[in-house]
Amino acid sequence: MLKYIFKRIIWMPILLLMVSLIVFFLGVYGPGDPIEVQLGNNYDEESADRIREKMGLNDPVFVQWFNYVRNAAVGDFGESYVFKNREVSELLIPKLIVSAKLNIISFFIAIIIGTPLGFYAAVNNGNFKDPIVVIFSLVFYAMPVFFTAPFLILIFALQLDLVPAAGWGGVFDKRIILPALTIGVPGAAVFVRLIRSSMIEVLDTDYVKLARAKGVSESKVLWKHAFRNGMLPVVTIMGFSLAGLFGGSLIVEILYGIPGVGRISLDSVYSRDYPVIMAIVLLGSSALVVANLIIDFLYTLVDPRIELQ
Amino acid sequence: MISKLKIFLFSAIIIAALSCGSDDTSEEPASIGKNSNVAPSLEGNSTGSSSGSKENIFRINFSDPPTFDPHLVTDTTSASIIVEIFSGLVTLNKNLDIIPDLAESWEISDDGTVYTFKLRENIKFSNGDNVTAEDFKWSIERAANPDTGSYNADVYLGDIVGVKEVIESNGSKTSIDGVKALDDKTLEITIDSPKTYFLAKLTYPTAFVLSKNYMESQGDNWIDKPVGTGPFILQEYQIGQILKLKRNDLYWGEKSKVDGVIMNLAGGVSMAMYENDEIDITGVGLADLERVKDPNDPLSRDLVDVPPQFTLSYIGFNVNMPPFDDENFRKALTHAVDKELIADKIYSGLTKPAYAVIPPGFPGFSPTINGLEFNAELAKDYLEKSKYADPSSRPRIIVTIPGTGGSPGLDTEVISDMWRETLGVEVEIQQVEWATYLQDMNRKRLQVWAGSGWQADYPDPQDFIDILFYSESDVNHGNYKNSRVDDLIIEARTELDQNRRYLLYNQAEQIVVDEAPILPLWFDTDGYALVKPWVKGYSFTPIIVPKYKDLYIE
Repeated sequence: MLKYIFKRIIWMPILLLMVSLIVFFLGVYGPGDPIEVQLGNNYDEESADRIREKMGLNDPVFVQWFNYVRNAAVGDFGESYVFKNREVSELLIPKLIVSAKLNIISFFIAIIIGTPLGFYAAVNNGNFKDPIVVIFSLVFYAMPVFFTAPFLILIFALQLDLVPAAGWGGVFDKRIILPALTIGVPGAAVFVRLIRSSMIEVLDTDYVKLARAKGVSESKVLWKHAFRNGMLPVVTIMGFSLAGLFGGSLIVEILYGIPGVGRISLDSVYSRDYPVIMAIVLLGSSALVVANLIIDFLYTLVDPRIELQ
Repeated sequence: MISKLKIFLFSAIIIAALSCGSDDTSEEPASIGKNSNVAPSLEGNSTGSSSGSKENIFRINFSDPPTFDPHLVTDTTSASIIVEIFSGLVTLNKNLDIIPDLAESWEISDDGTVYTFKLRENIKFSNGDNVTAEDFKWSIERAANPDTGSYNADVYLGDIVGVKEVIESNGSKTSIDGVKALDDKTLEITIDSPKTYFLAKLTYPTAFVLSKNYMESQGDNWIDKPVGTGPFILQEYQIGQILKLKRNDLYWGEKSKVDGVIMNLAGGVSMAMYENDEIDITGVGLADLERVKDPNDPLSRDLVDVPPQFTLSYIGFNVNMPPFDDENFRKALTHAVDKELIADKIYSGLTKPAYAVIPPGFPGFSPTINGLEFNAELAKDYLEKSKYADPSSRPRIIVTIPGTGGSPGLDTEVISDMWRETLGVEVEIQQVEWATYLQDMNRKRLQVWAGSGWQADYPDPQDFIDILFYSESDVNHGNYKNSRVDDLIIEARTELDQNRRYLLYNQAEQIVVDEAPILPLWFDTDGYALVKPWVKGYSFTPIIVPKYKDLYIE
């Protein structure tokens, strides 16, 4: 098992190196150029070239990539092309923290609403309550955020005047409520459906049937025998949520005025701000790789039948 | 500078959400009362956490400025903050006249090449240092020095003798011969030939003054605490979150009436934030227009007309690429477009159809330019006369527009429909992402392009006619070339009589309009805005000038 984990950890930097290479080359060889976007109509080859020279953009691509990787390895992600004289880390870290806070709160909302509902639906599989839960969760899941966000703002900010329409004040500020609901409620629907189907499957297994046949009380059957097994998919989802912790939700952030990482991710692509793009992509891929490792590890804890090798 | 216009629906929503409406992150909606805190103490506001009483602060939604360095600015967002913090020799008033700023007066030599500026006596940087002619000389040299990495020193300062050499020297030459500090308060600038629009260029931030002492002592850290000569000081800036300006009490002119300005940078639904009293001003999108125009809606009382921006949006034709090498074909397409109909039905009258190049109200605007108006019969005649009357002889026509999602702008679609119905000319619309669009446009590779426009950087017709239509201009993206137009433009550059200059530009403009290398579409307006009743003296300006110092909160 230790050997397995060790092997996985060895692979991490190799994976990240490959990701960085692909993204870097896509940037350099894809259409569009960071200097040109900033110069706009004032573009002329001569001054653009002077700036490229100064920024080291005229070096061979492999040299540029190598320099980047060497610096990134020690945590120096360079300076943004667009935000002059600003370190990428200085730009991104505050935004990453904001996005992470919002994502954590939303995730808890999703779990707190989603788990009991999914469980409830599974237990009531076969009568009318199950489809009602399923339908409602589907409805919430299907509603796009660019509908729910303005809708919530209209009701809670403008009509009822309970919260401001936009802004950010951290986790303990009431302005987090609407955006967290906007992300969390559709997230809950995912949990409902997953837990429901997984529980239905588990409730149909022989060992549950056996437990019931032996006369074990229904609550004991559900909690002791079925629940833990039914929760396996939740572990997977939790892991991936962890991977997405530092990801921004562009539309939610923009509509609620949250200074998260979503907008800068999009803007950096439009403006070809490669150092920012690289940092975001590398962070995202590292998070995914780490999360995958943790998920696998957690599986063995939740389900002793699974063994890593 | 180039401007992106009406790109596509999704971005329009996002931009609408971004462009306006935010809050001071701590202000309670309920606290917006009429109680203006008269005591002009800045301390009360310096933390930004309002204690509940209405502050003498103006709140607006904004987006992150890529830089505070006047010499590096290329975008309007940065520029509009920079003009509040820094200033230069001259500036513009609201009628776009060039007026003295840090320079009290100036003299121009008889041959029009030597400008002698007399600086004001009482001018100080916000850290208390005196502003001297030496600071100006140092600043211009800094802007031109390739190490600074200015993107447009060439454009705004390139007329000064010696600037081009410094830019091209790669660091070996740093001193500019054409700029001399004669004494503490006298600055002499020599330009390479008499150009009356030179002063107009000095209103742009690239020519602004920085404190030599301060900059040299602070190194790269100066940008976090910029020291300038404008009406405001940067008080606080958190990237992506908030930007606070406070009054500069050392400003030489009339001090700002508001204690400060708070800009929310994090976005939010602008209209909702405005209605919830979280911001003091917002633009009004097409979707909300009908509602706020309804006299029964209380918002209608806040509605303000925004004067036209000095922007021309147009469809460009590449005259080197068939079928646009044929003037008759271009004219046929131009006459076939009913701009009045589009302005009325699609834009609810928010845009003004353009039939010329220089926008109304802009220096050099002429009402007598004869545009190519909508005329279906004439359009068909021109098509008949063109080399491409027979559809089988006509090359494929691809209109390129910028954007990343879904449908092209409605106007582009309607125009292509009009071409099809009136003339039977079929076009394809190709949408490419902005950076790619720019790349192809700058390399003059696009056959037809729409969805962008030209916005004036300084108030001189040179900024439209010379930049867009001179045959050697980098911005002449359609390769238009007419030797008569070139002659007129060259003559206008050094003509010292302003009225005659304008006349020369108008002659060139008329030729351009007649030959239709572009199809002028709109002189844009922002349309409408909502301004809270307690905000007084806010003015909309079509060009970037300091505007917060004159407003006040009642």
